[in-house]
Amino acid sequence: MKRTTIGELEELVLLSVGSLYGQAYAVTILEVIKEHTQRVLDITAIHSVLRRLEDKGFITSTMGGATKERGGRRKKFFTLSQAGRRVLDETMEVRIALYNKLPKLIFTGLS
Amino acid sequence: MINHQPPKWADRFLEWYCNPDLLEDLQGDLYEVFYHKLDQGNPLQARLYYLWLVIRSFRYSAIKRNSKLKNTTLMMTKSNLRIALRILKNNKFYTGLNLAGLAIGITCFFLTGFYVKQELSYDQFHAKKDRIYRVWLKEIYSDDKVFFSSTTPLLFETFLEDNFDEFETAVQVDHNNYLVGSGTNRINENVGVVSPEIFKVFDFKIEKGNKENLLQGKRDLVLSASYAKKYFGEDTAIGEALPIEIQGEIIDFIVTGVFGDIPKESSISFDMAISNENNIDLYDPRALNHWFQIRTETYVLVGENSHISNVEATIGDVVMNLIGDRVNEGEYNIGFQPLTDIHLNTDIPVGRAPVGNPSYVAILGVISLLVLVTACINYATLSVCQSLKRTKEVGVRKVMGAQRKSLIHQYLSETFLIIVVAFALALGLTYLSLPVFNELTNADVRIDFELWHIGLYLGLIIIVGLTSGIYPAIVLSRQGATQIFRGSGGARGKQYLRKGMVVFQFLITVFLISSTLIMRKQLNYMQNKDMGIEYKATVSVPLYRDPATRSLADAIRTAMEKGELLKEKLSLYPEVSDIGMGSHVFGDPGWATFSYTDDTQTFREFRIVAVDPHYLNTFDIKIKKGKGFDPESELDKRQSIILNEAAVKHFGLKDPIGNQLPGNKFGNHSIIGLAEDFNYSSLHNAIEPLIITQNVQPILEGTDDVNFSDSPIPKLVFRYSGSELSKVQDILEKEWKQVLPEEELNFSFIEENMRAQYANENRMNRLLSVATVLSIVIACLGLLGLTVLVVKGKEKEIGIRKVIGASESSIFKLLISSFSWQLLLGVFLSIPFTYWLMNDWLKDFAYRIDLSIDLFALGGIISIVIALITITFHTLKASMMNPADIIRSE
Repeated sequence: MKRTTIGELEELVLLSVGSLYGQAYAVTILEVIKEHTQRVLDITAIHSVLRRLEDKGFITSTMGGATKERGGRRKKFFTLSQAGRRVLDETMEVRIALYNKLPKLIFTGLS
Repeated sequence: MINHQPPKWADRFLEWYCNPDLLEDLQGDLYEVFYHKLDQGNPLQARLYYLWLVIRSFRYSAIKRNSKLKNTTLMMTKSNLRIALRILKNNKFYTGLNLAGLAIGITCFFLTGFYVKQELSYDQFHAKKDRIYRVWLKEIYSDDKVFFSSTTPLLFETFLEDNFDEFETAVQVDHNNYLVGSGTNRINENVGVVSPEIFKVFDFKIEKGNKENLLQGKRDLVLSASYAKKYFGEDTAIGEALPIEIQGEIIDFIVTGVFGDIPKESSISFDMAISNENNIDLYDPRALNHWFQIRTETYVLVGENSHISNVEATIGDVVMNLIGDRVNEGEYNIGFQPLTDIHLNTDIPVGRAPVGNPSYVAILGVISLLVLVTACINYATLSVCQSLKRTKEVGVRKVMGAQRKSLIHQYLSETFLIIVVAFALALGLTYLSLPVFNELTNADVRIDFELWHIGLYLGLIIIVGLTSGIYPAIVLSRQGATQIFRGSGGARGKQYLRKGMVVFQFLITVFLISSTLIMRKQLNYMQNKDMGIEYKATVSVPLYRDPATRSLADAIRTAMEKGELLKEKLSLYPEVSDIGMGSHVFGDPGWATFSYTDDTQTFREFRIVAVDPHYLNTFDIKIKKGKGFDPESELDKRQSIILNEAAVKHFGLKDPIGNQLPGNKFGNHSIIGLAEDFNYSSLHNAIEPLIITQNVQPILEGTDDVNFSDSPIPKLVFRYSGSELSKVQDILEKEWKQVLPEEELNFSFIEENMRAQYANENRMNRLLSVATVLSIVIACLGLLGLTVLVVKGKEKEIGIRKVIGASESSIFKLLISSFSWQLLLGVFLSIPFTYWLMNDWLKDFAYRIDLSIDLFALGGIISIVIALITITFHTLKASMMNPADIIRSE
């Protein structure tokens, strides 16, 4: 089976979707990322990543209610799917495993 | 608060491209960001940002892939192509024929097209080409004495620069042969003598060295990349010294620059060049300031805001101001020829570079087009004939509601599909056949590719597609559905256009065959014509003058002295005989021309050859009256001359023997013999007056003007009777080293040189032959297809005729006759066409064949025979079939 991997931005967006828990749509995701990483992203990039993640089956979407500030248009809310959760866990495990292997020496120094 | 909205048109754009499933959410998000931005302040910024986001959202994943975008044209094209593919697959025979015909036609078009393009691209690579002109000089005197030349006096460079503000600069370009290198390995090289500014006027690529100060010094030298490699290997040549012998003095020149090899398509060409500051040493001071001695090519660069016509208008007056005491109004004319005009304009004399023949380029261009047209016609006729079988298909389509437009569309798709494939095939074929083509035609054609060529190719595909496809498409879609199903749709009209096309195609083929035959006959005639001389197995070896000599007579004398030494050695070999020497030999164009005005003020011009006493014997030149040179006679050596018949006529001498040439300025000389006319240049020209002498000095004294394009330094000639031609080289190399160790040995067979004079015609003939063969192949493919179709269409008729009792031969005749009048008409129509074009071509030759009827007849017969062979097989098969097989199945 082809192993599905995700890129750095995809991972970030996926984590944001998970952490926003039910309130995740493009604009809030953008804000969460900005808040945590100080990275100012383009909303179109978020859209593109969201479409990709949905195609891969890591997130699912539902249309929410209309709001006035969007000209009466509905929001599309995203939630993390089982597969999405799994891929996040795997990524984390890989990172932590590798992180633990870093020799302490380098960081503590010789003194 | 004003109610700000995102820009309407940006919204509309978003709504247009966006996948509707995504639109609501995407647009909503963008709105949200927009209002957010708006809250922060500047509405303009917010609007711009919104626009930016809309543009950024234009990604593949967001673009709609729904049915709206697929309009009918696109959809039908897809389906049309699919159907076309099926039809083509089902008719493998016709698809094959069509593909082959078109591919061959396009290949032919490519090959000749590349050749023509190369000829047309001469000197086009200079950025300032439109401002560069070559200067010509035309002196017109009374009594028809005209000197017209594109080499000009040395003083023109400064004269033009000083007197005309319109010119940014003027440059000289000249060539001379010098011995280059040191010790025993010196090579006789052609060295450019040029103005230093040449690199600012022309775009020759400088690879090493500073473009600004190349050739600034008198002893500076520039080399082409390949020559830098030849002399200095991989090392950097800059700063190295290279000895060149100039006027008897060996001078070290320092390499200051290396330029990329000058492309073949350049009228100015050299591999090494020195500054024209050296002219002081090359010419005597009088020549440097002489208005009537022509030496070099002069090019001018017109300033960006100036126009050459300003100069042309005033130059006459300026010249008269300067030399009005020596010439009359209208006698001394200076003109300017655009740089890009040089290669293919035969009205202005040839300068330093050989020029092409514009009529050959035109003929080739026309021929390649004709062959392409034959291929298109082929396709059209075949498709129209085939359409008989497809009337039902058209009917069904029409019943289903197909418009005529969409039917045309469909047939054109078929055509284009075939043409695109044929085009790809042709590209491959061209690539593969290019080496063979170059070999065959002696051309040096290359395929080069630039991005804009894609457009050209697409254009070609569309043009070829429309020419070959539009007629069948119209014919096919013409009929009404009811007609077809009622059964009256089968035979439609007399198909004059279709038959006309067959005639036209045949006309072209016959024209090409006859032209090839005529050209070949003319070439054979020229190469086999009795020239009045014997030159079989004769070798010519250029000698070298003593470098210290300055006058022409001395140069000839010193070279002959060296020749005598070589002759002594060579005469010991039994296979070498008839050794002689002469300043010019046969096969070299441009024998020296002398001219003067005699006492009766008549302008006289003649050619002259300086020889040793054995030269006439070597070439078996017959003496008609008087006697030849006596090797023992000192008098002959000093002052005897021999005239040819043309010279006697030219000078109007009644009793030439013992007399002198008219005019009183010559040194002591007397005419001792009269030689039979023999042809010493190519048969393009008539025989001109010629004087044969052992000593040019007395004649030189009385001449005003000397002109030669062949080097007047003598050549040693001898007949070689050995069985192995390769041994000539061994003998010559061995003896040459002993006599002239420092010079380079060159030798050639005169027969080869004679043939080389007709290289242009030979190449043309070969090109034409290639085109002819290809067009025959195409025409045969077409005929074959037509025959098969016609036979198919008449199968029932043949069957019934046979049942009633027709013989096989009468059926055969019936079938053949349906083509024969078209073939015959093609043959007849081609005759005047061919006659007119070939007559024009033959005008170039002083000696030419007559255009007799047998050549046309032969061309016609050949084409008819080929055509009959092509169609006979199928017609025979049809006439011999069993009628029961056909009629039974209905």
